[in-house]
Amino acid sequence: MIWTAELGRTLRSARVVVLLLLYAMFTVTALSVVHGIAKSITAQTDVQVAAGADPEAVQKLMDEAHKKFVSTFFADDDAMAEALLVIPLVLLVVFKTSLRFLPLFAGIMGFDQLSGEVGPRSIRYLTVRSRRSSVMLGKFFAQATLLAGLMLLVDVGLCLHARFTEPDFATGAMAMVLARFWVSAVVFSSAYLALTALCSALFRQPAVSLVFNLIVLFGFWLLALVGEFFRLEPDPKLPAELAGQMVSKLAYLRYASVWHYSSDLLHPDLSHSGVAALAHLGFALFFLGLAYAVLRGRDL
Amino acid sequence: MSENAIELSEVTKRFGPKTAVNRVSFTVREGQCYGLIGPNGAGKTTTFSMMCGYLFPDAGGLRVLGADPSTPGALKRKVGVLPQDAVLPPAWPVGVLLTYWARLSGLADPAREAKEALDKVGLPETWKLPAGALSHGMAKRVSMAQALMGAPPVVLLDEPTAGLDPKIAAAVRQLIRDMKGRHTVVVSSHNLQELEELCDATALLDRGNLVTAATMAEMTSQAAEFRVQVARGNVPLPDVRALPGVRAATLDPSGVLTVQFDTTGGAPEEVITRTVGLLVAREVLILGVSRGRKLEDRVLQLT
Repeated sequence: MIWTAELGRTLRSARVVVLLLLYAMFTVTALSVVHGIAKSITAQTDVQVAAGADPEAVQKLMDEAHKKFVSTFFADDDAMAEALLVIPLVLLVVFKTSLRFLPLFAGIMGFDQLSGEVGPRSIRYLTVRSRRSSVMLGKFFAQATLLAGLMLLVDVGLCLHARFTEPDFATGAMAMVLARFWVSAVVFSSAYLALTALCSALFRQPAVSLVFNLIVLFGFWLLALVGEFFRLEPDPKLPAELAGQMVSKLAYLRYASVWHYSSDLLHPDLSHSGVAALAHLGFALFFLGLAYAVLRGRDL
Repeated sequence: MSENAIELSEVTKRFGPKTAVNRVSFTVREGQCYGLIGPNGAGKTTTFSMMCGYLFPDAGGLRVLGADPSTPGALKRKVGVLPQDAVLPPAWPVGVLLTYWARLSGLADPAREAKEALDKVGLPETWKLPAGALSHGMAKRVSMAQALMGAPPVVLLDEPTAGLDPKIAAAVRQLIRDMKGRHTVVVSSHNLQELEELCDATALLDRGNLVTAATMAEMTSQAAEFRVQVARGNVPLPDVRALPGVRAATLDPSGVLTVQFDTTGGAPEEVITRTVGLLVAREVLILGVSRGRKLEDRVLQLT
């Protein structure tokens, strides 16, 4: 009940329009930049072909560059790289970029969901009628529903754009990519929405909740980065004992960051994508559990 | 209607090093209108908030209709609350907001309940207005309306008439009066005249401690004292003191004759009539007679 009421309230408010606009603007900006770069590369290859280069060789070079780009930035292994290669590069880059923006977006969207009610004490009208857990979950699911809707709109827009600009991108493939993108984005955002709920439950002032949320987000990014930085692949030529010494314990820090698991969400192998999804849902449950513990124990 | 609706037993609440409420115990009987009295910082709102489940006691026991308010969902449909300083969510239209809350309370016909509650507080025209557009007084009445929805058996009102103009305050007092006997009502207020008029019993708090918990008759000495405002004439004090049942009589410079009595002289009305009869017989002109002492005087005496 709180879920539907909160969703209705948010949909009636100007905030949803502003958020959609913000998300759409960010995506369109990313799309324009990536599209511009892709167009520039295509123009260069056209010039090369016009100058007498072998079109097949140029195409092969382009394909290899595409594969290398995907492997370097978006895939940890060959299976994933293969799976991502079927997605138009512009679509993949824009989606991945917008995914990076999602945690911030979730924070901006829901930072005051609880602190905005605890500060002015309007939550008192609710808690005398319903459990604190219902209030928290109702607001969380309202945020999740709204974000899922917004992401669907943006993903549909992106996929339609790719469908009309990439002749090889068939409707069936587009539907599959759209479903994968949307589901992975929903799973991905669940952890960050729950983190936002936690940050909102911790403080009475919405502004403090937002700042703390941003600090935690940067903390997670930093943790994942540090973990990745120390994740040195030992040289296979080295003796086993030396290879073992090269793996720093700091590399394990990445497992404590929800950010670390996001890259596998689009993995074709269920053992990878499933683990990534479970990790995100696990973090979401952990954050929600903490948020409830805070809200349950606090004076209103 | 003689069970305890609310029971506080040695309830303590601390905020850091400060003890806001210190081992407070009192009971509110079903159907009573009960006042929480005390100066600023006495612990009224803290005690009130613990009854509503907003704050959790650090020690002691608290029961509202047999339920522990800190248990999740324990007060649903049992208690209506007018919280002090709780802001109505500004973006919601009043009608939508009240209907939503009525639905949350599990009421059968939420929209009808919301409309009726808004009618009760005399604000049907605010149905479509956003809550943020209401004046302080209107917001207070809308808040009052939500407390009354579904006719909960216990109604807790924190400063129900604070900031209201006299006419609206009188209407709110009438609403509270109408609830007496049918609902258990707890009113926390600084307005002692209002509490004296409305409440059957009170708890007086001061600096977190319970000073006294008593019926209003006991607090105002209704059965032990009356006052006569004398306009002109010589009051025969020795003769008044000699009347049956009169324990003491004093006349202050402003012309107020205070008579303390006990039950040996009969019912209070008999002692009052006998005294007034004596004064009239001695050609003392009387402006008025009031029974008991003002609650305000009693509170000032005790705190």
